[in-house]
Amino acid sequence: MNKPLTMRQVVLTYLFISLSPVLRQIPTALAGEAGRSGYLSPFWSALAILPLASIILLLIKSYPGLNIYEIMVELLGKFIAKGVLILYIFWVLFFLSAKLNAYSLILQFTLMPKTKSNYFILIMFALVYYALYRGTRTIFRFAEFTLGPIIFLISIIFICSIGNIRTDYLLPVTSNNLPATIKASKSVIAVGGNLIIALFFADELAISISNKQKRKFYFATVGFVGISFLITVFTFGITGPSLTATLPFPFYITVKSLSFFNVFERFEVIVTLLCVLSDFVTICIMFLLLMRLIQWLFDIVKREYLFLPLAVIVYYLTYLVSSTQFEYDFLYRYLIVNLNLVFQYLIPLILGLLCLIKGNNMRKKQY
Amino acid sequence: MIYIFGGLLIISFIKQRDVLLEKKMHMGLFLVLSVCGIAIGAVYNIFPYIPSIAYVLEKYLK
Repeated sequence: MNKPLTMRQVVLTYLFISLSPVLRQIPTALAGEAGRSGYLSPFWSALAILPLASIILLLIKSYPGLNIYEIMVELLGKFIAKGVLILYIFWVLFFLSAKLNAYSLILQFTLMPKTKSNYFILIMFALVYYALYRGTRTIFRFAEFTLGPIIFLISIIFICSIGNIRTDYLLPVTSNNLPATIKASKSVIAVGGNLIIALFFADELAISISNKQKRKFYFATVGFVGISFLITVFTFGITGPSLTATLPFPFYITVKSLSFFNVFERFEVIVTLLCVLSDFVTICIMFLLLMRLIQWLFDIVKREYLFLPLAVIVYYLTYLVSSTQFEYDFLYRYLIVNLNLVFQYLIPLILGLLCLIKGNNMRKKQY
Repeated sequence: MIYIFGGLLIISFIKQRDVLLEKKMHMGLFLVLSVCGIAIGAVYNIFPYIPSIAYVLEKYLK
């Protein structure tokens, strides 16, 4: 039986795919832009992520059972909707290539420095192919079941670290630091925008959305802000903001210095595993998005045969987009963050405004 | 790598031939995307040290 996706699966997948950028990029970006006060930035990001959640819920509620493309067709017309789809295809291709690059760089940095990145990418493709072969629901269920143990592991790491957190790395913070924290929150906002996956899979959700499901959606955004805050406090408090700003994977280095009552050590392997799992789900979801976007663009029904040609394109784009850690850091900071803001916030915002305007017009007509 | 991908594309074509031959759009998309992938791969193989997009952007933005 082909059951629909649940809101719970979507929000847990959102938290899962946001995990690797939270562990990898956010502490470095916040330390670089806001220094010691950077850990306050996740709170500012809630001011953008919560309205995004409201917009997504408004669109899903106004157009029940429709996905982002069908909503765009209703609001913008078919021609413009297809134009926006093409832009989304380029964005997803770029995002996917950068994500694969980040995944292979992390494995080289942490576990296997002598192994070539193409082996990592090919193994990932084989796993992604198998996951896609099993179906969309399998990927969401994988995220749903795996997130709980991951949160548990992070909690253990956090408990082990409490004694090592140095308050002089975190305090004092004055009102003079606030503008910098607001500016730095852009990095957190760019990751929090992953919430948009709900719109892409809105046609697979149940038709009506209950208040409980809405609460789950908002709870996921609050959960994301909470996780970002905790990971940043933890990284800054142990490694220090100045060192965090220069490291490619500060959370890994932070965990490396921890031990559980001097009995259990080397938790850093767990951190690599968490990142790889999160990257795996992200790559699966992005491949699904890419195939769905092409399916909508060309009005085709079947899409399984698209995986291999797209995988070949993405594989070579990975090398053409960025090839070293420095290049990836630059790309992430100057391009990916800004592109995410456009595709995850600006376009849904426009759709939300149009939905409100059209909704009012329709109500006036009915009256 | 490009030969492996070429071989995999042929295997995929044979395995999915019913779906691909069902509609012209399926076949067209498969061919266009495969050619794009192989073309990017050929460029990468001919010029393995071609500057990446990030490198070019870094050069012009800084």
